[in-house]
Amino acid sequence: MAEVGADIGRVRIRVPSTITKGEVIRVRALVTHPMQVLSFDKSKKPIEKNYHFIYKIVVTYNGKEILQAETTQAVSQNPFVAFPLKVTEPGKLVITFMDTHGKTYEGSAEIKF
Amino acid sequence: MDFKTREQKLTRRSFLSKLGAVGLTGVAVSLGLGSAMQALAQSAPLGAPLPSEKVEDTIKRLFGGRSISPGNGKVKLEAPLIAENGSVVPVTVEANLPMTRDKYVKSIYIISDKNRRPLNAKFSLTPEAGKASISANIRLAETTDVRAIVEMNDGSLYMVKEEVKVTVGGCGG
Amino acid sequence: MRPGILFSLVGSVTVTALAVAYAQVAAPGPWKSRAIPEAQGEVKEVDGKKVQLRYKEGPFTGVPQEWGEWRTYVYNDNRPAPQVSRVSMPTNVKGDPKEGRKLFLNRTKGPCSGCHLIQGDDVWPAGNIGPDLSTYGDRNLPDDFVYQMIYDARLFFPNTSMPPWGTVGIFKPEEIVHIVAFLKTQKGNPPFVPPPEKDPDRNPFTRKLKYYFGDNLDPTNNPAVLLADDAMADWAKKGAAGKACGECHAGGPEKSMKGVATRYPKHIAKYGRVMSIEDFLSVHGPETTGVEMPSESQANLNMSVLIKMQSNGMPVNVDLTSPEGKGALERGKANFYKRVGQRNHSCADCHTDDPGKGADKFLGGRLLGNVKAGLTNHFPTWRTNFGKVWDMRKRMQWCMLPLGMNILPADSVEYAELELYLTSFSQGKPMNVPGIRH
Repeated sequence: MAEVGADIGRVRIRVPSTITKGEVIRVRALVTHPMQVLSFDKSKKPIEKNYHFIYKIVVTYNGKEILQAETTQAVSQNPFVAFPLKVTEPGKLVITFMDTHGKTYEGSAEIKF
Repeated sequence: MDFKTREQKLTRRSFLSKLGAVGLTGVAVSLGLGSAMQALAQSAPLGAPLPSEKVEDTIKRLFGGRSISPGNGKVKLEAPLIAENGSVVPVTVEANLPMTRDKYVKSIYIISDKNRRPLNAKFSLTPEAGKASISANIRLAETTDVRAIVEMNDGSLYMVKEEVKVTVGGCGG
Repeated sequence: MRPGILFSLVGSVTVTALAVAYAQVAAPGPWKSRAIPEAQGEVKEVDGKKVQLRYKEGPFTGVPQEWGEWRTYVYNDNRPAPQVSRVSMPTNVKGDPKEGRKLFLNRTKGPCSGCHLIQGDDVWPAGNIGPDLSTYGDRNLPDDFVYQMIYDARLFFPNTSMPPWGTVGIFKPEEIVHIVAFLKTQKGNPPFVPPPEKDPDRNPFTRKLKYYFGDNLDPTNNPAVLLADDAMADWAKKGAAGKACGECHAGGPEKSMKGVATRYPKHIAKYGRVMSIEDFLSVHGPETTGVEMPSESQANLNMSVLIKMQSNGMPVNVDLTSPEGKGALERGKANFYKRVGQRNHSCADCHTDDPGKGADKFLGGRLLGNVKAGLTNHFPTWRTNFGKVWDMRKRMQWCMLPLGMNILPADSVEYAELELYLTSFSQGKPMNVPGIRH
């Protein structure tokens, strides 16, 4: 029985089902993550701790970095991002998410024509 | 801040965490000056709270005094006019600007004026992305202007903004 | 073989139960809850005060009050609604319009702005269930009348949606005096003409609301879709009895569960009551594979999503005509119209579009659903505001709190029969699970 919220780091990627060479496709990705927000003490000061959220997303295609995102606690829980990718050759899309607790989560998708 | 610096901070963080949270709290709070706290924050864990910031200061911090041109016609920001809740607000930024090797959109910033720290996210693109168009789900603390600032590789900046009203529940939820 | 013996035993029990059930279509007896502790609604005494155990998460944690003194949906709860009070405005309090405006907007009370629009750019978001009060002061109504309306509007409108604020003690008499004073200041210029609206979205009568939650079945959009994967793992897992779901339900969920969810909630003779998929799982799991699946546990919710997804696109087809179905439907409908809780609301107050009722109007920032639209076929639904999937029962339990009623157990018969009534409006509509909402 999975505990609610324990399933951190599951990555889902969606790419169009048919892709033509040279097309700029739209890639949709989601990773399950709490993206913890600040909590405050009685005097309205933020409680000091290492909040747990994804701070960086790196997208590579066939090993080459396509784009990067610096994300913050002001990105929603279970971060969703969508981005373009110009596909000139078949290959492997890899999306890596890094969080403040030192964990990385990776998802990949094969792209063929 | 580039990726390498962050990697170094990770190892420092694991060392600092052994000192315990109490020590870090004491240091961060006692100074209380904006930029000083910022400097200290860089030696703190990656997820440590950063000081609150007014949007004018965010923009100054990110772009110095560089001029920002209105992006109407070049940049489109799609966000719901009324967000059902501030926790998940889908935004899409689309820039009708070149993405060639010589001239391309280098960064797209999403900024929410009334958030405690207005910068929601920064996307860095390469020409291989093919198009300057990103979407993300962001958090809004309250009704606010949401801005998209697009930076070209030659440093030119374009901005558009939209007001997003954040609804609070009626029946509480 | 063991399954065969089990089926024949169930068969004989079913025949007996059916005979009994047919003979009496009265309300089923009390049900021993198989819900997780936070969903059972147990009331305890802590430090001499009554406390109801509820979910330890938002939004439930924001509403800790215990409302045992107010009537509920429970079938043998025959307590009357609070008696209508006839009052006149106290003369020993000087009404303060500023204080009245604060009280009007106070979210721990009404807020009155949840149903009524007033002047002010800071009024966001107001609702339009009640009349626009922006120029109420121009009507020059007697103080005693306005005081009575707020204290207990039922004296004038017996079926009003307006809670009897004074009778039930949500507003103190002095507070109502301040609100009366405030309402007198709501005047137009000229009379009955409110200030021009700078922002059409501020005004609930002109506000547009567009849903933007996207494709509910896209796993990169709706995290609830991922829960079905968790349930798939549970499907194959052996329980305490050494068996897994898949051993009896051959062909995987896709084959064995196709169309099953379209018939729920339904009366199950073995248990003598109407059950949803979630209710049924809470007894079926332990009795077959030995897997515990209490109502409102993550395992139960996940499995409910998985099972219902196998019926996506197929029309809802619940039994509304058998004696059991009809009896349950009638009881569910009666509860839909029953006034409960401190605020003395019925579901109908918000969720029908009869005159003065709230469906398709704004309650504060929320557009209220219309029961006639048939909205049950997308539950369980992902709630983006809470990062969790909610089934219909949790949604019902949440509704109880703003209206001041203690929650019933998630798997209570009363909720199940109410769910059947709601589902009757979805009859024939395609299932589409999991949903996604704010």
